[in-house]
Amino acid sequence: MAGLELLSDQGYRVDGRRAGELRKIQARMGVFAQADGSAYIEQGNTKALAVVYGPHEIRGSRARALPDRALVNCQYSSATFSTGERKRRPHGDRKSCEMGLQLRQTFEAAILTQLHPRSQIDIYVLQADGGTYAACVNAATLAVLDAGIPMRDFVCACSAGFVDGTALADLSHVEEAAGGPQLALALLPASGQIALLEMDARLHEDHLERVLEAAAQAARDVHTLLDRVVRQHVREASILLGD
Amino acid sequence: MLQKREKVLLLRTFQGRTLRIVREHYLRPCVPCHSPLCPQPAACSHDGKLLSSDVTHYVIPDWKVVQDYLEILEFPELKGIIFMQTACQAVQHQRGRRQYNKLRNLLKDARHDCILFANEFQQCCYLPRERGESMEKWQTRSIYNAAVWYYHHCQDRMPIVMVTEDEEAIQQYGSETEGVFVITFKNYLDNFWPDLKAAHELCDSILQSRRERENESQESHGKEYPEHLPLEVLEAGIKSGRYIQGILNVNKHRAQIEAFVRLQGASSKDSDLVSDILIHGMKARNRSIHGDVVVVELLPKNEWKGRTVALCENDCDDKASGESPSEPMPTGRVVGILQKNWRDYVVTFPSKEEVQSQGKNAQKILVTPWDYRIPKIRISTQQAETLQDFRVVVRIDSWESTSVYPNGHFMCEMPVNTPESPWKVSPEEEQKRKDLRKSHLVFSIDPKGCEDVDDTLSVRTLNNGNLELGVHIADVTHFVAPNSYIDIEARTRATTYYLADRRYDMLPSVLSADLCSLLGGVDRYAVSIMWELDKASYEIKKVWYGRTIIRSAYKLFYEAAQELLDGNLSVVDDIPEFKDLDEKSRQAKLEELVWAIGKLTDIARHVRAKRDGCGALELEGVEVCVQLDDKKNIHDLIPKQPLEVHETVAECMILANHWVAKKIWESFPHQALLRQHPPPHQEFFSELRECAKAKGFFIDTRSNKTLADSLDNANDPHDPIVNRLLRSMATQAMSNALYFSTGSCAEEEFHHYGLALDKYTHFTSPIRRYSDIVVHRLLMAAISKDKKMEIKGNLFSNKDLEELCRHINNRNQAAQHSQKQSTELFQCMYFKDKDPATEERCISDGVIYSIRTNGVLLFIPRFGIKGAAYLKNKDGLVISCGPDSCSEWKPGSLQRFQNKITSTTTDGESVTFHLFDHVTVRISIQASRCHSDTIRLEIISNKPYKIPNTELIHQSSPLLKSELVKEVTKSVEEAQLAQEVKVNIIQEEYQEYRQTKGRSLYTLLEEIRDLALLDVSNNYGI
Repeated sequence: MAGLELLSDQGYRVDGRRAGELRKIQARMGVFAQADGSAYIEQGNTKALAVVYGPHEIRGSRARALPDRALVNCQYSSATFSTGERKRRPHGDRKSCEMGLQLRQTFEAAILTQLHPRSQIDIYVLQADGGTYAACVNAATLAVLDAGIPMRDFVCACSAGFVDGTALADLSHVEEAAGGPQLALALLPASGQIALLEMDARLHEDHLERVLEAAAQAARDVHTLLDRVVRQHVREASILLGD
Repeated sequence: MLQKREKVLLLRTFQGRTLRIVREHYLRPCVPCHSPLCPQPAACSHDGKLLSSDVTHYVIPDWKVVQDYLEILEFPELKGIIFMQTACQAVQHQRGRRQYNKLRNLLKDARHDCILFANEFQQCCYLPRERGESMEKWQTRSIYNAAVWYYHHCQDRMPIVMVTEDEEAIQQYGSETEGVFVITFKNYLDNFWPDLKAAHELCDSILQSRRERENESQESHGKEYPEHLPLEVLEAGIKSGRYIQGILNVNKHRAQIEAFVRLQGASSKDSDLVSDILIHGMKARNRSIHGDVVVVELLPKNEWKGRTVALCENDCDDKASGESPSEPMPTGRVVGILQKNWRDYVVTFPSKEEVQSQGKNAQKILVTPWDYRIPKIRISTQQAETLQDFRVVVRIDSWESTSVYPNGHFMCEMPVNTPESPWKVSPEEEQKRKDLRKSHLVFSIDPKGCEDVDDTLSVRTLNNGNLELGVHIADVTHFVAPNSYIDIEARTRATTYYLADRRYDMLPSVLSADLCSLLGGVDRYAVSIMWELDKASYEIKKVWYGRTIIRSAYKLFYEAAQELLDGNLSVVDDIPEFKDLDEKSRQAKLEELVWAIGKLTDIARHVRAKRDGCGALELEGVEVCVQLDDKKNIHDLIPKQPLEVHETVAECMILANHWVAKKIWESFPHQALLRQHPPPHQEFFSELRECAKAKGFFIDTRSNKTLADSLDNANDPHDPIVNRLLRSMATQAMSNALYFSTGSCAEEEFHHYGLALDKYTHFTSPIRRYSDIVVHRLLMAAISKDKKMEIKGNLFSNKDLEELCRHINNRNQAAQHSQKQSTELFQCMYFKDKDPATEERCISDGVIYSIRTNGVLLFIPRFGIKGAAYLKNKDGLVISCGPDSCSEWKPGSLQRFQNKITSTTTDGESVTFHLFDHVTVRISIQASRCHSDTIRLEIISNKPYKIPNTELIHQSSPLLKSELVKEVTKSVEEAQLAQEVKVNIIQEEYQEYRQTKGRSLYTLLEEIRDLALLDVSNNYGI
């Protein structure tokens, strides 16, 4: 049996997408009544749920409070049934901790934290297939928006990979597992500023720009979609309020 | 808009549990259909090739047909083939990578009229697999459904034939849709292609081998081999340590009996086996073939056998020889094969008598693979007699437990060009290529008797007064498709080997000496580079690269061209092209040719001068030509005479190589194949500097420019040999020129030291070097890239190219080594049967070029031999020369100085040899039983040897300056071989012992040891 062909000669990927096409994205805001903000997103078969609490006063040790801005606290956990092999515990392992840290960095860059000194914002993400980081960021953005916390801009994230000289946007699990380079990018689309950029594989410098451009384009596409979701949500909410 | 579907896959994990995986599957409304009949070409957005519009029907092969009859579908006569994606995936998953790549190449090949239709991504064509439906059924259903859609998509204007081997499908779908016919492949060939005989034969061969396979699997009696165990049992057995996994390695010399299993990492860790496992006999080997990954069961210790030590012929079968084997080693038998490594094999048909002795089963024939390690293969064919003298490629299909030999079917034979069907320029190519047959005077200059002419030249004046210089290189890549069998073979050979009396070609002779060779008076395909030069300054104004058709007008040899250049027109009679012409046209044509050669030389001089300005080196390598008479006796040894024409041709080739290097590097900055020549290490020049000092010259070796200048200055007007020797020493100090991939080096390292060019590659000899073939493909891709065309042919990625470069470099070094050894052998043979005492030829003039404590190293210009002569013989006697300057051995002592050595006898006579002194030497052969014969030199007089020969050397000396640059790097590598080993050792020592780089005591002692000539026969090669 010949090996898996990630990108066929005709330019199709394993799941039938072309190189720059995203997976199907569906999102909903305000899925939980108790939390200050919540959102649910599906990117292909990756499903993420985000809830936001805050801003509220610092819980626990007061010493953690920052004098000039709000503390952003992020926790990532993935359901034990979300992967092919059942996981032992949902959170607290190194991978989840790292993911939580990355989410925190991303949102510290996006949320106008200086408006809420000495307070805390909690973002909890529950997760299920490829591109977990991107799905988490997108879900959390919607949740933060739902909570009404002021942000500079949407934070839109997307991953990109590189196969046979072509940059592929929004990798699926199969493509991630093949072991090529993968780049995760969180973008503030209006200003084009990068909130987070992460890649831990080797990729030649000359290709980086193309992969980055593919990821950025995909993130801008995600922005259009999220924007549509937010507008839809606001419309529904305002109808309910009877305005 | 894409539609999302989900596919559920059930996979089995290594532990044996089933795993349910959900994968996304996206469908789209528009998938390129690649048909000229498409009603909405804009929506289908075709790129790449279209099906041709002049076919009567489209044919859609079933997945099974693609798997089994791909070789027939490859026939260029079959047109309008649509491969469905479902079928391609079946090949990808169920057949090997090799067959899948073949299919991919077929789809990419623009000449072949076939396309791929991505039916599984089309929203109307995609059918989800139903519960309980078998994979095969689903694939057939999908393909049929796609065929129907395709028919309607083309607005029912083109009938579609779906070929399948599935009788049920024919029943079911045969009359379901009008315009879509479902028939068997055999039926299809019979009805649509009754005249295509080759396809029918191939089809019969495949069918027959399949039928036999089925029959045999039904017959259960007469099993030759035990059945293989099922995979689960094997895996469990390996885990538990009962079985061992490894790679089967057949002993080349005892292929019938002995094979070894090399253990693979994981399995050997628990078992305490250290050695390989012996598999004794074909029975125990149980149908595994060399290179397979097999699972072995160890036999009980009392059945262990030893490996046989005695030599034996390969033919003898399983007979036990009387020799006692060595100590018993672990012995086992194969119980299963994990991974088959079946390739396509080159085989020979048995001779007529053997066929008759196999007579009982007339249609099956046992063919013998070229590789000893592969068992004989049984194939079914009716053409055994016609294929008698051919070597064919065979693929193994199966090996049942009931059969002694594996079954196979033959695939292709080598291309043949017979006088009955002469090769012609095809009209298609004529359109694509620029036709230079009428407009340009093209001619080649090569050594006498050369068959593989790969470069030709042309020069003419353009209308605007400027000159146009053209270099036309044989278009080998037109004939050698990437990854074809010829290509793969050529890649492994990498270069043509030229030995003193024969050569081993890289390409089959049909190509190398005929179709590709740019012979005189015939139409040939070429790849040309043409420069427009300024009429006065010869500055390059424009350059054009491309494919052309040429007809070489003259096939000149160097000597004749030189005579023409010198204005000596008497050689005309030697040129066959002029023979049949009448006086007048002959005169006109001759003038034209002489003008062209003259102009070329002029241009070459200018180009050379420019390169000299940058510091190009003129180096010296001794090359000897062996002249053989009709009976293959050695007639004479002649050092190569450098002519100015040599340099002219070489300069044009360097120019072409340089421009191609620039072009491919610009187009493919990370995957171009170039050639670098790194600057030499300064310490290697010390000997050269010392020698030059003896004659009062100073050699500045800081850069190639200073080296070139100081070598030019180091010229003794009385003795031209001095300059030659100094140059050859400089040559020895050089590093090797190497091929490399531009992606793996920094740009500063691209430089070519010897030629003083920033970028260089090999482009001009594709017939005899594989690197040139690669460069040709790169250049063609670069041209099509310029024209925004799709790049055809798969180029190597940087990593593959790097690997390839390493391989070619190794092969080149091996080739040069063997060339050198062959020359040495012939030098020895030349002197072997001549009596050194009487034969005049064995006495010659020699020049001292290095001094050691007990002898001197000599160079003999007449024969191009370098060797050592002792001044002190084994009995401790030293040489002395009387007043008549004849030498004799007397007791005495030697004293060595920097530039001279003095031999003083006990009776007070003394004789001194200086560096660069001329002496008379006698050449004899020292025979050796274990090693090759070597040449032995003896000084018989300290006066130069005066014969007309010296005149010859003087005569040629002014020409020495224009020594062929083309040969420089070659001879550099040659000379470097010996040197390199030494350097490596020193560098290793630096690394291992962290030695200081300065003059340590160790190196000093080493040098002293070096100075003494040891009496080991082949120790004076440096």
